[in-house]
Amino acid sequence: MSVLDDDLIICRCEEITVGEIKKAIREGARDIAGIRRRTRAGMGLCQGRTCESLVLRILARELDEEAGRFHPNTARPPVLPVTFGVLAGEPDE
Amino acid sequence: MSRGADVIVVGGGVIGSAVTYYLAKEGLDVCLVDRGDVASGTSSACDGNVLATDKEPGFDSQMTLKSQLLFRDLQEELSYDFEYRQRGSTLAVEDEEQEKVARDWVSRQVAAGLPMRYVEREEVHDLEPMIADDIIGLVECASDLSLNPMALVFAFVHAAESLGARIMRFREVKGILRDAKGAVKGVDTAEGPIESKRVVLSAGVWSPFIAKTVGVDLPVIPRKGAILVSERTFVVGRRKVMEFGYLMTKFGGGCSRKVEPDMDKYGIAMVFEPTPHGNFLIGSSREFVGFDRTCTSEVLTLMARRAIRFFPAIKDVKVIRSYAGLRPYTPDHLPIVSPVDRIPGLYIATGHEGDGIGLSPITGKVISEMITGKPTSISVEPLRLDRFEKKAAGAKTTA
Repeated sequence: MSVLDDDLIICRCEEITVGEIKKAIREGARDIAGIRRRTRAGMGLCQGRTCESLVLRILARELDEEAGRFHPNTARPPVLPVTFGVLAGEPDE
Repeated sequence: MSRGADVIVVGGGVIGSAVTYYLAKEGLDVCLVDRGDVASGTSSACDGNVLATDKEPGFDSQMTLKSQLLFRDLQEELSYDFEYRQRGSTLAVEDEEQEKVARDWVSRQVAAGLPMRYVEREEVHDLEPMIADDIIGLVECASDLSLNPMALVFAFVHAAESLGARIMRFREVKGILRDAKGAVKGVDTAEGPIESKRVVLSAGVWSPFIAKTVGVDLPVIPRKGAILVSERTFVVGRRKVMEFGYLMTKFGGGCSRKVEPDMDKYGIAMVFEPTPHGNFLIGSSREFVGFDRTCTSEVLTLMARRAIRFFPAIKDVKVIRSYAGLRPYTPDHLPIVSPVDRIPGLYIATGHEGDGIGLSPITGKVISEMITGKPTSISVEPLRLDRFEKKAAGAKTTA
């Protein structure tokens, strides 16, 4: 972790870098949700499935805490992306 | 005991952070206290509309217009980008019955000084190419704007901090403290008391619990509203579009909508908001279910169905997330921005329901004017806390 360059992209959906995540922590973020609200990391198509564990590790390292102490992102429906049509219960064509 | 302050603000949502900013701007030593992070409650579970179009013509819409003008200044004052976009908004009219009410709505709003007009059928699809073919008119309001609500909170907080305000995160206020004469002398927190002769309570739907510690009964209850988030996709609409029937779900009466009964049961009305990031948000629902914030599939299904009715092309666009927030509802749809007369030093700033983001500047400004003894930017009579007590007393007399 010590070699992570600030320019390295952590959240690929929203193109959020290590540096932006560290900045959010300096500005007061203390959990995954706080980082998401400040940077958009985890707000994209994959909803943090790819980047969450990396963000957790940066958070733990910056705050000098155990990664296990932090709550993961709150899961919200739909668990996987579905179209408005399917959600609305429209018959498939 | 922590160092005291001129004013303690309880609650770091959009209202508390705006109040903190405007007080710090007046040179006061302000301390904002929240039990969690800032922007972590209702202000993180909403959309970012600043709308005059859906306010009752008169005091309500005037107050919003004032707030919209303050946003224009804030865009210059606050260095943190809160994604301010003034593109106006439209309300989609479905049939002749709604059209009649819509035309009347426009003429009353224009008379109240709002930049609104009724858009005729021929022009509807020039303005909103993706909207359903059978939409017969639009109500356009030019002054309406959108922003990122969480970024707005961070913007207020950063600016307030640079003016010397202290932000205490993750510190829960347990109650308000009073001196022997009954006046405010601070707040009690899990980590000990903080002294101050003035306290502003702006904890949204959680405010009544804190007010109760000094015997104040706040008529604020949580009203749940859900939102769907789309993937990044093609341009469905470039600005805010709502169904005209939204006004009916908000105020009730006026005219009916031709919808399945469950749409009205859950207060569902289509609200479309594009974000600068290429996705869009879909609202809205209104439910009184206490402090339960879960999104039920029944409500999300109805919201999706209603959205497709107005924008058929989104049928194949993916929903990536849903969330729900608890709007602080008051019985007369107006917020409480008021001193508490019998407890000198205590001020209330909450009860904005779905208008907290939009009314945050005017609320922060008015509270700072009250505390510094300046004339207020708007008449504050309709926003006083004792209006509910008077109403209750009046009801008793007539009964």
